[in-house]
Amino acid sequence: MRITNNMIINNMISNIGRNLARMEGYQQKMATGKKISVPSDDPVVAARALKLRTDVSMLEQYKTNVEDAMSWLEITESSLKNVGEILQRARELAVQGSSDTATTEDTQKIADEIEQLKVQLIQIGNATYAGRYIFSGFKTDTKLLNDDGTFAIDVSNSESIMYELGIGDTINVNVTAGQLFNDGSDAEATKVGKLIQNMIDFIDALKAGDKSQISGCITKFDDDINNLLAIRSSVGARYNRLELTLDRLENDILNFSELMSKNEDVDQAENIMLLKNEENVYKASLSAGASIMQISLIDFLH
Amino acid sequence: MKSSFFGFNVAVSGLYTAQRNLDVINNNISNINTPGYSRQQTVQKASRPMSMYNGTGMVGTGSEVIGVKRVRDEYLDSMYWSENMNFGEWETKKTLLSDLEVTFNEPSNSGFNKIMDEFFSSLQELAKDPSSEAMRALVKERGVTLARYFNDLATRLETLQMDINDRIETTVERINSIGAQIQQLNRQIYTMELDGNTANELRDQRTLLIDELSKLVNIDVSEVVVGTLPNGQADSRMVITISGKAFIDHYSFSKLALEQRDTKLNPEDVPNLYDVVWEDGNTLKIKGGVLRGYLDVRDGNAGDNGSPVYNGVPHYIKKLNQFVQTFAMAFNEGYIDLDNDGSIDPGKNPAEDGLGHADGYGTGATATQGIRFFTMLGEDNKSISSTDFINGASNPQDIVARYSNITAKNFAVSSDILEDFNKIATSGAPNEAGNIENLNALIKLRTNDQMFVEGAPEDFMKSVITTMGVNSQQAKRFSANKEMIVEQIDNRRLSESGVLLDEEVTNMVRHQQAYSAAAQMINTMSEIYDILINRVGL
Repeated sequence: MRITNNMIINNMISNIGRNLARMEGYQQKMATGKKISVPSDDPVVAARALKLRTDVSMLEQYKTNVEDAMSWLEITESSLKNVGEILQRARELAVQGSSDTATTEDTQKIADEIEQLKVQLIQIGNATYAGRYIFSGFKTDTKLLNDDGTFAIDVSNSESIMYELGIGDTINVNVTAGQLFNDGSDAEATKVGKLIQNMIDFIDALKAGDKSQISGCITKFDDDINNLLAIRSSVGARYNRLELTLDRLENDILNFSELMSKNEDVDQAENIMLLKNEENVYKASLSAGASIMQISLIDFLH
Repeated sequence: MKSSFFGFNVAVSGLYTAQRNLDVINNNISNINTPGYSRQQTVQKASRPMSMYNGTGMVGTGSEVIGVKRVRDEYLDSMYWSENMNFGEWETKKTLLSDLEVTFNEPSNSGFNKIMDEFFSSLQELAKDPSSEAMRALVKERGVTLARYFNDLATRLETLQMDINDRIETTVERINSIGAQIQQLNRQIYTMELDGNTANELRDQRTLLIDELSKLVNIDVSEVVVGTLPNGQADSRMVITISGKAFIDHYSFSKLALEQRDTKLNPEDVPNLYDVVWEDGNTLKIKGGVLRGYLDVRDGNAGDNGSPVYNGVPHYIKKLNQFVQTFAMAFNEGYIDLDNDGSIDPGKNPAEDGLGHADGYGTGATATQGIRFFTMLGEDNKSISSTDFINGASNPQDIVARYSNITAKNFAVSSDILEDFNKIATSGAPNEAGNIENLNALIKLRTNDQMFVEGAPEDFMKSVITTMGVNSQQAKRFSANKEMIVEQIDNRRLSESGVLLDEEVTNMVRHQQAYSAAAQMINTMSEIYDILINRVGL
């Protein structure tokens, strides 16, 4: 085939152009660290990248949710612990007060202490977490108990606050008023819950000095303590579940982040090698082109 | 009987021939870099010999150059034109689809994926503290960002469509301008060739113009023989047709024209786009070239409404519209068309009427149901309220019909929410600050893979972007392939008709020597005549 000057020059230009384009591709990969910059570079990688990014960010959101749920349950747990201590103390005093050696003076003193414990119980009922009342069910902006121990609002036991821990995976983070203060029935406004009622009855019994009534209160306190233990174990179990979920989420985040990186990120060592190779090819093409371009028969005629 | 100065004349003819050859070589060398130039060669032959009366043979009478021919393979030219048309179409599509990809900007930290993610994250955070004003403000702002993303995208796609429209106008003008030039050249070439010469330079110019034209639009070129001229030559006329109708026929030239559409081809189009037609009113179907690339990307809606079967700009606008309508309907009303029958049947199981924003309550004592989170922009580009948007519809079918008014361009957060973020409906019952039942239902929509045929909302957008990526990659590959084919054919053309400096210089030396030899011959002849005239018989 006859080769003309323009052919040589055109070919040289187009080949050098192609070499430059390939080099530019590698350079961009090196600078951005990513295999693709637009979806058309590799549509499959792009589709996977989009999916993995969504997955990782959803996992991180779930992790935050789990951590917040754990905080809520921790506050609940410490309130329940205080209630437990109060009930234990009340039971002890009930045993004391019902003994034959207790005088009316003694029972009067005990009544004063129980009065204080009752006030403490009411305060615990109105405990808050970040400004929200934790036992008020959905009405987290209103106090649960009035100063006299009556419920200020209705709280149905279906008012469970659910946090999302995963796709279709939720957990109940609160304890409703009725579960704790009304032995499992719903809390109704203006009524007094069983827990507080027991305290009030106890105080009345002490003031009256009625020994048989006082010892009757002991069994009531035992029931209350059992109820509390059941609630505490439910909270404890939920907290354990959250810890396991947190562990799993942290592992998942690590795995998915690794997948995401493997999918999108370029292997810099390999890339630099390819870039250097390309540079050599480019230099070779320039040098070859220069030597052919410049010489012709005219240089040899005289 | 020979003439006395016979030898002289023969030598002089050699001189002229050598000179003529050198002229042609000179021309070739000067034009080595002229685009489209085909090298010229002399047609040299020995002059008619004289016969001697006494039968001792024929005497040669010298040489003559009877013509200058253009070395060109016409077949390669027509191959080039048909491949150039494909190259033009795919190169255009490659550029336009790259623009489209950059507009969508995925995967990145500022594309749809990130914005959707942040919107749902803000909903999750709100779920953990529903009465927090800071969180409510965040949800509102993230909703606005989501809506603005779609507005912006739709506007840019429309701008792209208008931009392509302008380029079509420019291309048609260029086609007409080339046509006019070719018409003129046809005239000049025809008149010049009547006496049997070939108009080499003019033909080169014409071929160059046809090269450019072939990239712009699909043409068929032929030189049609219509008869014979008086001098025995064939009378050939150049005809260029576009999709079967003659664009240029010898001296006559039919222009292309642009006609604005009164009715839109696709509902998603901007109004008043151009159709390319013949000026004399005949219909025109563009089948290739840059023009076809522009038309496919500007009008292509995967074949709907009679549009080109290509995923062009209207197709993507349609997909965006489909997304915002379905997503807004699911988020606001909880309606998801599970069986894809086009209507919402509340009584079915599983129910197509779930919990949506309108079923929930905001905070505050005066909170009501019926607030929609997403509505659309009204006339003065301000968001409209839920009541204005719903406009009295009460049964599911009427409500569904309202959502067909939303497009990606007018998608917006409702004015109710913009004015008072306490109306964000987190709660399932009024006046319960910690109730997040409704909000939980909204959050679940993110992973509801029945919402679209393609799956959850993010899956839908992912499939749009992947389709675009695949189309763009295809355009890049085709364009690179066609480019190589065109280059190869061009190389063959250059191989055939390009000027090779070494060859010309060699020929130059050859003819220079012939010239010198002829000159020397003249000297010799001169001496002979000198002897004859001045010395003999004295």
